[in-house]
Amino acid sequence: MDAFMAFLTVFSHPELLLLVGVGTFAGVYVGAIPGLSVTMAVSILISFTFSWDVLPAISLMIGIYMGGVYGGSRTAILLNIPGAPSAIATALDGFPMAKRGEAGTAIGVTTVMSFIGGFIGIGVLALAAPFVSDFALTFQPRDYMLLAILGVLLVGSLSSGSLLKGIFAGALGIAIGAVGRDPLTFTSRFTFDLSIMESGISFIAVMIGMFGVSEALLQLQHVNKASIRQKISRIVPSLKTVRKHLPLSMQTSTIGVIIGALPGTGGDIAALMAYDHAKRVTKNPERPFGDGAIEGLVAPETANNAAVGGAFIPMMTLGIPGDAVTAIMIGALYIHGLNPGPMLMVDQPDMFWFIVGALITANFFMLLFGLTGIRLFTKIVEMPRSVLIPLIMLLSIVGAYAVNNSITDVYWMLGFGFFGYFMRHYGYPLGPVILGVILSRLLDDNWRRAIISEREDLGRFFYGIVTSPLSLTLFIAVLLIFVSQTPIWSWGKAKLFGRKQGQS
Amino acid sequence: MKKTVFGAVSALVLGMSGAMAQDYPTKEIQGIIQWGAGGSTDTVMRSVTPHAEDVLGGTIVMQNMTGGVGAIALNHVAGQKADGYSLLMGAENPLLYKVMGLGDKDYTDFTPISILALGTPILVASPDAPFDDYAGMMDYINEHPGELRMGATGPGGLPSVVTAMMNTVEGDLDVISVPYDGDGPALTALQGNAIDVMPAVLGAAIEGIRAGKMKPLAVFDLDANDKLPDAPIVTSFNADYSDYLPWGPFFGVFVKKGTPDDVVTKLSAAYAEAAKSPDFVELMDNRGFSMLAISGDEAEAFLNKWQQNTAWLLDDAGLTKKSPEDFGIMRPAEK
Repeated sequence: MDAFMAFLTVFSHPELLLLVGVGTFAGVYVGAIPGLSVTMAVSILISFTFSWDVLPAISLMIGIYMGGVYGGSRTAILLNIPGAPSAIATALDGFPMAKRGEAGTAIGVTTVMSFIGGFIGIGVLALAAPFVSDFALTFQPRDYMLLAILGVLLVGSLSSGSLLKGIFAGALGIAIGAVGRDPLTFTSRFTFDLSIMESGISFIAVMIGMFGVSEALLQLQHVNKASIRQKISRIVPSLKTVRKHLPLSMQTSTIGVIIGALPGTGGDIAALMAYDHAKRVTKNPERPFGDGAIEGLVAPETANNAAVGGAFIPMMTLGIPGDAVTAIMIGALYIHGLNPGPMLMVDQPDMFWFIVGALITANFFMLLFGLTGIRLFTKIVEMPRSVLIPLIMLLSIVGAYAVNNSITDVYWMLGFGFFGYFMRHYGYPLGPVILGVILSRLLDDNWRRAIISEREDLGRFFYGIVTSPLSLTLFIAVLLIFVSQTPIWSWGKAKLFGRKQGQS
Repeated sequence: MKKTVFGAVSALVLGMSGAMAQDYPTKEIQGIIQWGAGGSTDTVMRSVTPHAEDVLGGTIVMQNMTGGVGAIALNHVAGQKADGYSLLMGAENPLLYKVMGLGDKDYTDFTPISILALGTPILVASPDAPFDDYAGMMDYINEHPGELRMGATGPGGLPSVVTAMMNTVEGDLDVISVPYDGDGPALTALQGNAIDVMPAVLGAAIEGIRAGKMKPLAVFDLDANDKLPDAPIVTSFNADYSDYLPWGPFFGVFVKKGTPDDVVTKLSAAYAEAAKSPDFVELMDNRGFSMLAISGDEAEAFLNKWQQNTAWLLDDAGLTKKSPEDFGIMRPAEK
């Protein structure tokens, strides 16, 4: 009963309701601007809400978080610049839709699917948090490594053209991610004794450059072409559409919750994995993936919003952050005199239920703010290119600078923008580069931890994999997905099922 | 014409800097936090600084600047004017940059505003570890050489110093050192049995210990800790540790050397006052930190002694890239 009252706290206090609303609204716009991250917004809020009580402070932060994760999809769809890393996969099919004049539909689907994903994430948090966090803790370094390899194999589904070019792009991304002082031993790697290379290459700068600047350069070629008229006939997707994609969104939300709950992986990886999953299970998309498939929006958007609820799971049950934002929230709880840790659920269960209530409220506000103002937003795409291109450039520069207040990042961003332009020109896909950068450290750090823990003995390493059910499952998944992308697979399939198909 | 303009401008600048000392602060102060959002340094700085702002009557805008074990932030502040408008909010690591080959600047290029608090190291084990205290762990290492997995956070971090202390006192330990990028991820791995033991700062482990998710093996201090009175102290297992203790990581606020004295005084007074505020004291107490809040000569002496002890400890354990002697860091006097 107490738990239920705590759950209702947000609804019964108008000022808390208002703060969640304001936070969500701000989050949608902070999230939409590349370079302005939710992490940054929440850490600024720590100082800002310092003298407040803990409940209003947390309400505002949760609003920003929920809104921000969703907001990243806006610029991804409209301008092909993901507002946040977790919206990269959204750009792959969202932007093609905007180019067809269906930006309104794309945003509508994205909003509703984010809402559904968000709900599933919160549901798992509320009902199964202790189980999920125990499961998340069982992930050993070798499991994270296998997960990263699983991620690397997504290269196949992210490269629309030649697989070979996709592999090259992915490998380049992994190399970019390794530049700088290695965080485990502080050895310089690929720095060539240059001080700007010491701190590594900002991942956000690479992302903004490759997507934003290269897009602007590409559009420069057709600067006089008329812009696309947007059809705003139907924004809210029909019940039929939602029902059709409900099974897929359940699956991708599950991916989102689990990847989100793992400390060390977050919404960005979840969204890409979900995208890959959608591509595998969707037999007949209305349009091919990469060309504006609805499924290509459903999967990443449900997954990244489900990852929000997921990230709260280890935070609330163990005091371990599920991602960067929950890490800051743990700091905020400390500052407000609470002791986040395994005892928080025991000592103060009300806090848990309050957070669940605030998340649900934020999810509703997200739906509300997401579905309003779309008409105005789609006008952005209808602007003449001579206005739009400078706007993209401006947004890219501001975004790259804002990440670390560093002009070096702007140079990196511009450099990768030009490089990305030529890559696109010669048919190299950009998605795998970003994938490589995201996975680089996960793969590298955990491979080293895994092999060091086994006294650098490969035999012991594989023994560890086959004796752990989790590692074995992941290992088999890696093998299957790898084989399914090689000719052996179709050859084997033909051999096994060939006759059956012939008969029918 | 040009000369007059230049003269006027420089006069203006001089006039402003003259006026600045009394009126300080006349504009926003930048606070550069060496570590990422959500880390212990971040939490400490964000909870003490608002109180300092009240005393100072100005605004301190805090910003996280990560990378290079904090060296990026340190070099950034060192590159600003010494006018008290750029504060460096950091931890102990820069004092080891030189010997670890991570940079050529450290806190000797700065003036301490306040050394806020000192942490206590503690050695914790996963609940499934086949031993329950420090002595049991030492037996296990002797019986199973090269099997125990001990968490680490890279050269110069707290675990590397504690490990160096253990190697010096007990002789070289045959253990596997598994690197993590921070004590948070390493303690998470400990709870999932990916590593067996981890030296950490008490504040980071205290909630896990209370919940029975970690076993305290030994507190690295001379006296039992108020927060964990039942956890044994390491000197009860081997008295030789007392040569190196008390030792701990610390948090401090710094300005570039050459900042006008009255600005330093004003800032020091503000942070000294802020460190007394009840909610900050409570936060530090909850996380197991001992309050220091020292400044001026006392802080300089503290930094000096800390650097001598730690640099030589690491050097004797063979963990440094360069000898402390190269930088004029004197070997601490024998006890």
